Amino acid sequence: MTGPADFGSPDSVTTGPVPPLRPARRRGGILRRCEEPLWRWGGRVASLIPLAGLTFVLVVLAVKAWPAIRVNGPGFLTRSLWQPGSTYGAPVRTGGVLHPVGSSYGAWPLIAGTLQSSFIAVLVALPISLGAAFALTERLPKWLSRPLGFFVEVLAGIPSVIIGLWGVLELGPFLARHVYPLIANHVPNVAVLRYFRGSTGYGEGLMTSGLVLGLMIVPIIASTTRDLFLQVPPLPKEGGEALGMTDAEVARWITVPWVRSGIIGATVLGLGRALGETIAVAMVSGSILGQVAPNVYGTMTTIAATIVSQLDSAATDGTGFAVATLAEAGLILAVISIAVNVAARGIVNRTSRLAAPVGRV
Amino acid sequence: MVDEVMRSTQRPEVIDATLAALDPDRDRPPSVMEVDSLTLRFGEKTILSDVSVAFPRGTVTALIGPTGSGKSTFLRTLNRMNDRVSGFRHDGDVTLDGVSVWAPHQDLLSVRRRVGMLFQRPNPFPMSIRDNVVAGVKAHGIAKGRQLDVVAETRLREVGLWDAVKDRLGESPFRLSGGQQQLLCLARALAVGPEMLLLDEPTSSLDPGSTESVENLMRQLTPALTLIVVTHNLGQARRVSQSTILFYDGRLIEHGATSELFDAPRDPRTQRYVNGLMG
Repeated sequence: MTGPADFGSPDSVTTGPVPPLRPARRRGGILRRCEEPLWRWGGRVASLIPLAGLTFVLVVLAVKAWPAIRVNGPGFLTRSLWQPGSTYGAPVRTGGVLHPVGSSYGAWPLIAGTLQSSFIAVLVALPISLGAAFALTERLPKWLSRPLGFFVEVLAGIPSVIIGLWGVLELGPFLARHVYPLIANHVPNVAVLRYFRGSTGYGEGLMTSGLVLGLMIVPIIASTTRDLFLQVPPLPKEGGEALGMTDAEVARWITVPWVRSGIIGATVLGLGRALGETIAVAMVSGSILGQVAPNVYGTMTTIAATIVSQLDSAATDGTGFAVATLAEAGLILAVISIAVNVAARGIVNRTSRLAAPVGRV
Repeated sequence: MVDEVMRSTQRPEVIDATLAALDPDRDRPPSVMEVDSLTLRFGEKTILSDVSVAFPRGTVTALIGPTGSGKSTFLRTLNRMNDRVSGFRHDGDVTLDGVSVWAPHQDLLSVRRRVGMLFQRPNPFPMSIRDNVVAGVKAHGIAKGRQLDVVAETRLREVGLWDAVKDRLGESPFRLSGGQQQLLCLARALAVGPEMLLLDEPTSSLDPGSTESVENLMRQLTPALTLIVVTHNLGQARRVSQSTILFYDGRLIEHGATSELFDAPRDPRTQRYVNGLMG
């Protein structure tokens, strides 16, 4: 993260005459003489690549999706049906766009599923990550926190297909048998909590997807937050202790607020991963098209999971309309991700009003 | 007869007895804090050996001595800030109002409420100026709701910061000057109603003007509070303290009235230190 650069301990600083930064005349080969312009221009080009990449992806997606956008219309966002239509009958033309007869697409369940599962993921991952980061930096002795911290990073490196496999083979069935019924049968039957009642299924669905996603983003949020906590200077924390605050109060009022904007950034990073995570969700969501999960355990799907699971069959649509529709769904996902990042930037700007600049005091 | 009564009430011992009855500290030991043959170690390294000293209620005591002489470690032991430092061990005892600060039934949080601390550099919390002042008050549940605003104003006025910050109580403390931040930290420490304040070189990072305001406050806080101040500034020790302790190489070398210690030191090392021949 944005830690202060390590310039070594003061003892290691060599003293002596400082060589001039730019010798009057360059000696050496062509590479050496080109170093400075290469640096300057290479840097400028490199800094534009992310922007160019983003623009390129969005433009390609938009172009690919354009036929679908015209036919599906704004109702795409609110309809639930996902009906590729008949590939055997003669295609029909709507507004100049050829598509299979009877095709009708609605992305609402995909959008809802994406937002719901990512919301659950962040809700689960944030407290676990903050707790883990806090324990690793403040509580555990070094001989324990170093290997444990290493495992957090290892978890981040496990391919999502493996976590998905574990989710669908072990975690989902276990939860459906032993945990979900406990919740479903004991949650009061009132407004929002009603969503936690009802049939608990076989372990593939919204809750399992959210938990698997949560597990996948814990390492992202936890390792970033741990690095942030390490940057909080000891003096304000000591000030809190000396005032008679408990450790929990020091954490809540001083340590966490000190790096609040960084934690928001880490959370958005994790949220972005959750929104776009594909294969693990495709494995544990139940991949049911056309319906929003009836309760928190219900089967569902997300935009990303739908794109990957439907791409094969979409390719069989000779009119190309099914692929265009998937591109449109992808465009929506990209817009959601960008919107989340922009919103996070806004939150950071608002909440960092009182926060101390990292590295001060 | 009446004259007799009048005369008798004016007898000094009667007046003293009356005053004594009004003194809230009458049943307490004359020294708010006593340190009894305290030895401090980090691992195998002995930082401070066999220090015994009492801090009389309502006085300012200055701790002076060269860097590394153990005075800061000593100070931080008095409110148990060293307890969690790995390898820290202590022998001997520190008592607050006659009760050991390490006594099993002694509540650490309440020890720290009663023995406040001001640090070398200002250390405001990442919250608004007002919330900084009342942070400890909230933690100890001393006041709540609208009372907090009263506490904030009272304490900010007490340290002379009110006029400077009254229009930006909701803003960040990090935009205040260093001196103002330190006064804010002082207001924060005073807000929880401590009996003692430990000041660890409180003005070493401040400009002369801010230093003067902090020193003036230190004088005004006694005799309500008992102050112990670690300082490298010998002038400051002379200006604010009634008694001074010289630490040298992990030992208490001399402890006496400030004027005597500076003008007629008994130990040759004290003489050299206060004359600037040893630092």
